[in-house]
Amino acid sequence: MSAPAPIAAPRTGTALGIGAAGIALTAVGVFVSGLEKAATSWLIALTFWIGIGIGMLLLVMIHHIFDAGWSTVIRRQYEHALAAFKWLALLFVPLLLLAWLQPGLIWGWMNLATPLHDGHGTVGTDVLYLKKSGFLNRDMFTGCTAAFFGIWIGLSYFFRRNSFSQDGDGDVKWTLSNRKFAAAGLPLTALSLTFAIIFWVKSLEYHWFSTMYGVWFFAGCMRAALSTGVIIMVWLWNRGDYRGILNNNHLHCIGQLMLSFTVFWAYVTFSQYFLIWNANVPEETFWYNLREMNNSDGQPNQWKWVGLTLLFGHFFLPFLLLLWYPLKLSKKWIPRVGAWIIFIFFLDLCYNIMPAFKDHHGDPEPFLQPGLLWTLAATAGIGGVCVWAYLRSFATTKLIPIRDPRIVESLTHHEANAP
Amino acid sequence: MARTPTEEPAMDKSYGLIAAFDTTPALYHACEQVRNAGYTQWDALTPFPVHGLDAAMGVRRSRVPRFSLTGGIIGFATGMSLIWWTDASDYALIVGGKPYFSPMFAFPVSYELAILFTAFATIIGMFLVNRLPMHYHPVQKASQFVRAMDDRFYIVIEANDPKFNVAATRALLEQAGGHDIAELEE
Repeated sequence: MSAPAPIAAPRTGTALGIGAAGIALTAVGVFVSGLEKAATSWLIALTFWIGIGIGMLLLVMIHHIFDAGWSTVIRRQYEHALAAFKWLALLFVPLLLLAWLQPGLIWGWMNLATPLHDGHGTVGTDVLYLKKSGFLNRDMFTGCTAAFFGIWIGLSYFFRRNSFSQDGDGDVKWTLSNRKFAAAGLPLTALSLTFAIIFWVKSLEYHWFSTMYGVWFFAGCMRAALSTGVIIMVWLWNRGDYRGILNNNHLHCIGQLMLSFTVFWAYVTFSQYFLIWNANVPEETFWYNLREMNNSDGQPNQWKWVGLTLLFGHFFLPFLLLLWYPLKLSKKWIPRVGAWIIFIFFLDLCYNIMPAFKDHHGDPEPFLQPGLLWTLAATAGIGGVCVWAYLRSFATTKLIPIRDPRIVESLTHHEANAP
Repeated sequence: MARTPTEEPAMDKSYGLIAAFDTTPALYHACEQVRNAGYTQWDALTPFPVHGLDAAMGVRRSRVPRFSLTGGIIGFATGMSLIWWTDASDYALIVGGKPYFSPMFAFPVSYELAILFTAFATIIGMFLVNRLPMHYHPVQKASQFVRAMDDRFYIVIEANDPKFNVAATRALLEQAGGHDIAELEE
């Protein structure tokens, strides 16, 4: 096979333009809807894109740790996307600044004077906070956030460097080095993504308990990353780059992974709900009660419908669609299912983050509100930066890792793959 | 009437024609020709799995997933209705301050039953579709068949195929590169 030539970078400027416009629009939101709204939007958008990045990092490491063959041609695209982590770290800085300059604005526990929603005292007198304060404090938050990004950026750097260097010299040592980094990186990433979601999102309602929370985020990250991956694959196919490289069996395998992580997400999310429902302990049930009805009058609120949309849209619909073999091979339909899963992952994050902010009745902020505009703007803005980082990296290397020891196995990947 | 060894044994009923091929590519392209000639009741015998042969033979995807899906739906429905019937209908009992019936607590059991019934249906469906175990098959009478387990490839076209015609089918197999073509006895 002749080596694919480096490809002209497509529309990097457009992506960066969308990024800048989205970020600017979110900044406008600060003046229109206030700092808290804009910062919440920023948090949702950042978590969304970081989640996709973590999923891709995990997919690269899973590929290496299993010495996988089939996914070699797909792995390169994930490696390009990992270039976004350093920009995501930069984009997280405003939230850290906010934590120090306006403590308690987003994460109420950062300010001991923040009144509790039920009107009994403040965070500083709350035994549930005091018992958790060894973990939930601003120094831990800042240090851990820096460490999370350090882990993700560091691992991304090594996986990218090793893979791109192998294009030049074809030395197997890069593959072996990647395997060692994957072995060390998988537990590190598992821990960092768990603590990151606990610090950034779960601690918005620090009274709550759930041991499933990190696993829930992991499942969401994997689903969003696989879906983004399949969209990139088909995009490259439509552009012509992946003709002769991507075959039906690659699509079938990635579709099967999408299906299994759909089931996994449902399993984890149901377990979390079911255990809390069954135990019926107020410290836990309030989290779901708020997402079903208002605190003040007990009337159903918008989050009930969002929750049902998650149940049917995040599980039943993709599950039934992905069961179907021809759909997994359809270059027309599988990107659409992927886009839907990515959208629902976003909705799932909204469901977890937005109701943590209450109005003066103690009722959760509704889902459909003008502030949602800033969330969409921030998502487009940060997304523009991520896509720009991907495209910039895309233009610098070969389309696929042409001198990877497993590249032939990947190019000739067959459904019933004989060893 | 007793047969003498020199006589060709009279055939009770023809099962079809068998033809031998020496290499995988020869078999592969022969399969494409048989497929294109419109035959449906035929098979290829190989000592090992040949990648892409399903497509060359025009074999469609297995029907086993339909059994699996049916099994899964029956399993899920069994779990839900079993728990509803026992806990809310036949012997209504309050447990842990929960409703008589809720899909919440019925879900884990229904989920497990869905998986169990899917597994049963898949295995039963697989045996129904491939008609195993099969203790006798006419190709076993052909002495050359043993080489299908060693170093030779075969195509067998059955006589009950609507397009089967001893002369025409033999000509097709010859043209496709087959040798040692023989008629199989039922």
